[in-house]
Amino acid sequence: MPHAIAMPKPGQFTEECTILRWHKREGDPVAKGDILFEIETDKANMEVESFYEGTLLKIVAKEGATVPVQATVAYIGQPGEPIPEVAPPPAVAPRPAAAAAAPATPSAASTPSPAPSRPAPSTVAVPAAPAPTAPIAPPPAAVPAAAATVATPTELKISPRAQRRAREAAIDPSRVPGTGPGGRITERDVEAYLEAKGYSSLRITPAAKELARREGVDILTVRGTGENGRIRVEDVQRAIAERPQTMSRMRQVIAQRLTHSYTTTPHFFVTVPVDMTELLAFRQQLKNQGAPYTVTDFIAEAVVQALVECPDMNSRTDGRQVWRSTRVHLGIAVALESGLVVPVVRNADELSFLELHERAAALVETARAGKLTPDDMTGGTFTISNMGMLDVEQFTAIINPGEGAILAVASTRPMPWVRAGRIEVRQIMRITLSADHRLVDGATAARFANAIRARLEDPTAWRSWV
Amino acid sequence: MGTDSFDVVVIGAGPGGYPAAIRAAQFGANTAIVEREAWGGTCLNWGCIPTKAMIAAAGLARAAGHASAMGLTTEGLSVDYAGLLAHKNRTVARLAAGVRSLLKSNGVEQIEGEASFVTRERLAVSGAEGTRWLHARRVIVATGSTSTMPAFLPRHPRVVDSRAFLDLPHRPERLIVLGGGYIGCELACLAAMLGSEVTVVELLDDILLLLDADVRAEVRRSMEHELGIRVLCGHPAEAVETGDSAVRVRVGDAAFEGDCLLVAVGRRPMTEGLCPERAGLRPDERGYLRADAWNRTRVPGIYAIGDVNGGPQLAHAATSQGLIAAADAVGRRPRPNETLVPGVIFTQPEVALVGLTEAEAGRQNMRVKVGRFPFSALGRALAGGETAGFVKWIAEADSGRLVGAAAVGPHATDLISEAALAIRAELTVEEVGRTIHPHPTHGEIWMEAAHVLEGHPVHVPPPRRRA
Repeated sequence: MPHAIAMPKPGQFTEECTILRWHKREGDPVAKGDILFEIETDKANMEVESFYEGTLLKIVAKEGATVPVQATVAYIGQPGEPIPEVAPPPAVAPRPAAAAAAPATPSAASTPSPAPSRPAPSTVAVPAAPAPTAPIAPPPAAVPAAAATVATPTELKISPRAQRRAREAAIDPSRVPGTGPGGRITERDVEAYLEAKGYSSLRITPAAKELARREGVDILTVRGTGENGRIRVEDVQRAIAERPQTMSRMRQVIAQRLTHSYTTTPHFFVTVPVDMTELLAFRQQLKNQGAPYTVTDFIAEAVVQALVECPDMNSRTDGRQVWRSTRVHLGIAVALESGLVVPVVRNADELSFLELHERAAALVETARAGKLTPDDMTGGTFTISNMGMLDVEQFTAIINPGEGAILAVASTRPMPWVRAGRIEVRQIMRITLSADHRLVDGATAARFANAIRARLEDPTAWRSWV
Repeated sequence: MGTDSFDVVVIGAGPGGYPAAIRAAQFGANTAIVEREAWGGTCLNWGCIPTKAMIAAAGLARAAGHASAMGLTTEGLSVDYAGLLAHKNRTVARLAAGVRSLLKSNGVEQIEGEASFVTRERLAVSGAEGTRWLHARRVIVATGSTSTMPAFLPRHPRVVDSRAFLDLPHRPERLIVLGGGYIGCELACLAAMLGSEVTVVELLDDILLLLDADVRAEVRRSMEHELGIRVLCGHPAEAVETGDSAVRVRVGDAAFEGDCLLVAVGRRPMTEGLCPERAGLRPDERGYLRADAWNRTRVPGIYAIGDVNGGPQLAHAATSQGLIAAADAVGRRPRPNETLVPGVIFTQPEVALVGLTEAEAGRQNMRVKVGRFPFSALGRALAGGETAGFVKWIAEADSGRLVGAAAVGPHATDLISEAALAIRAELTVEEVGRTIHPHPTHGEIWMEAAHVLEGHPVHVPPPRRRA
């Protein structure tokens, strides 16, 4: 009896995954530990190894298919073994991004925060959202699946001759009104459509038409720029380059969560300048001594302490209830090629400065390697987004859903600064807190931001950390 | 003299300038053209046309001498070099007169003299009868280029550029050609066909480097083995000494002597006397007057076409640009310059190319398929006794779109036009393969090569099936 290979459940809140690539083909021998396929969840890409030895008898879920976790995606067994009759796993219905971006708004009274299991980003931060103490809400809506994941193309009722004619003409048959039984498109319908669209007066070079056919470009949508509007290869190439591209699953999730956060959470912003001159000097001195601490570590520690001091900022709300977290789970935004991820340092308030540094460094490294698991990115209570290396004066971040605030850290630069009545050149870094106004008022946010600033400007504070 | 006012003034009556002037006049512009030396420019007087007049005669002499396989023997065939030059000069004179008469019949005012900018819209033309002042709403600069003479070469009557070479009264018995580009190779073949002992010295690794290696190899084989030309590549000419009776050149370890050293190492733009800076034009570091896809310089109302603008240094490119500049100058909003420029080389055998080479396609990371067909399998070529060479199509692998073509062999320079038309019209290889070509002609070879590319050749063995 062949072994059924199931889609793994890579994260506590992961409901479905997309198969990016099969590393084995049907008929290939498989050893234990061989990589079978690669999956993409809403947070990360992972490789899936085989627990079995044998031959890959059948692939049920093809590349690009999005299937629920635990669904059978393939069979491994001995050659010739009968494979149970199976329907392909229920592909998750593709859904236009717009629909997905409007997640079922939680009924205010009973649902905690929306989308607790999905990462969301701010301008800089994709976070894993957390519902640390609340029951886990179901995902707001089925996750938008990339168009490429369409398991079966929408059935178009069209005759084979009509299909061939449409292909020959390089047009999109789904736009042709069908007059056959049940609206079926006949060859005559295609001809009538072509005539109505003035197809015969179109001038198209043979290579342009061939390219449009192969790439599925509707030639009627292409504007020709050759002599008298002749459609040339260049025009079709432009149409290909400009046609809508399905965003990566990661970007779609980012889009969905950001939109949700920004449109449902009343953000307000507080910026304070921090004089980093002395801390930078201290850190340089530590560095020369071989200590591993980064500037970000000091900021993180200052934030953690400020959060402990100011628990209102370590909370979240849906407007009716407030969830206070008794622990600080600190999200740190990391920019990757594919988008931003926010690994979470759990129980940051319990860690020593050195431990905080080590945990953060390890998570950032894992993130850069693309090896974060969904659970690494879930459950944060507050996020730091540091664009210090990107040479920005100041910026604001969007709060990760499920959190109450986020801190945007801008670049440190030398500036003329008034200090004890004198103008001096000091290293100034602006930090901007984005806070949920339902949760806190301006005064709290200002106190909190200044609490962070005070620690970063206080040598006795950070000297005690290291 | 007073100031004459024109809508368009063209400077230079070469293959770029005179068509521009004719077209501007045809569009109703009051047009003048200024020429300081010879109507028809380099192409007509010292380039394309005179070389072809001489190559035609030389090729005929060579063919006649090699026709014994066809049952023809020639006895006492001799070349009267003076007669050959006379044929060349008659051809040039007739065409130059033609240019003047075309300009006249289109109502273009012809002004002899050297034009200089005074301001953006004013020109001074100094000629035999003094200076004439012109006011021009639009100026099309078409002053062309001239041969580069590297400074290390002695100034001596035995050291000539291509222009002086064509007017040598006697055929040099021993010719040394510096430069293995198309001009050097054409003239090397010309001299060799007329019986000279020829050496070509090229600094780079091969001659005619703009061609794909397979095409180059075919030309080089013929030049070395059929015409007996010595080709030295990869070394610079080190010492050049001139004497009363000979010129001596040392290349690496070898040293040899010739009666004449032909220098064909490149051409530079001609702007001496033009004073472009007075119009606000700034030549680039190599002296070119750069222009955009409509040949507009950065100074409004001034155009630069042909060799002087740093584009392809080919007469037909200049002509095409001239027509576009003229249309733009009279406000017709033409489409931009054509980008598909065929190249032809009148070596023995002839070579031509258009579009991408295989090497260039590779540089662009384009996946291509190539279909090659030899003249030796073409009935008409066999019948004519000229079987060396081949043509090839280069098509985008997936779509079959034709992106390049090359021909080396009999009539290659005429044959390339079909390829240019097919590529510009964005035909696919299938369409060329299906187009009925008349039999028996040289032109059939494009259809045959298309069949090869598609994998279904009729007149050569089918491609070997991969196991």
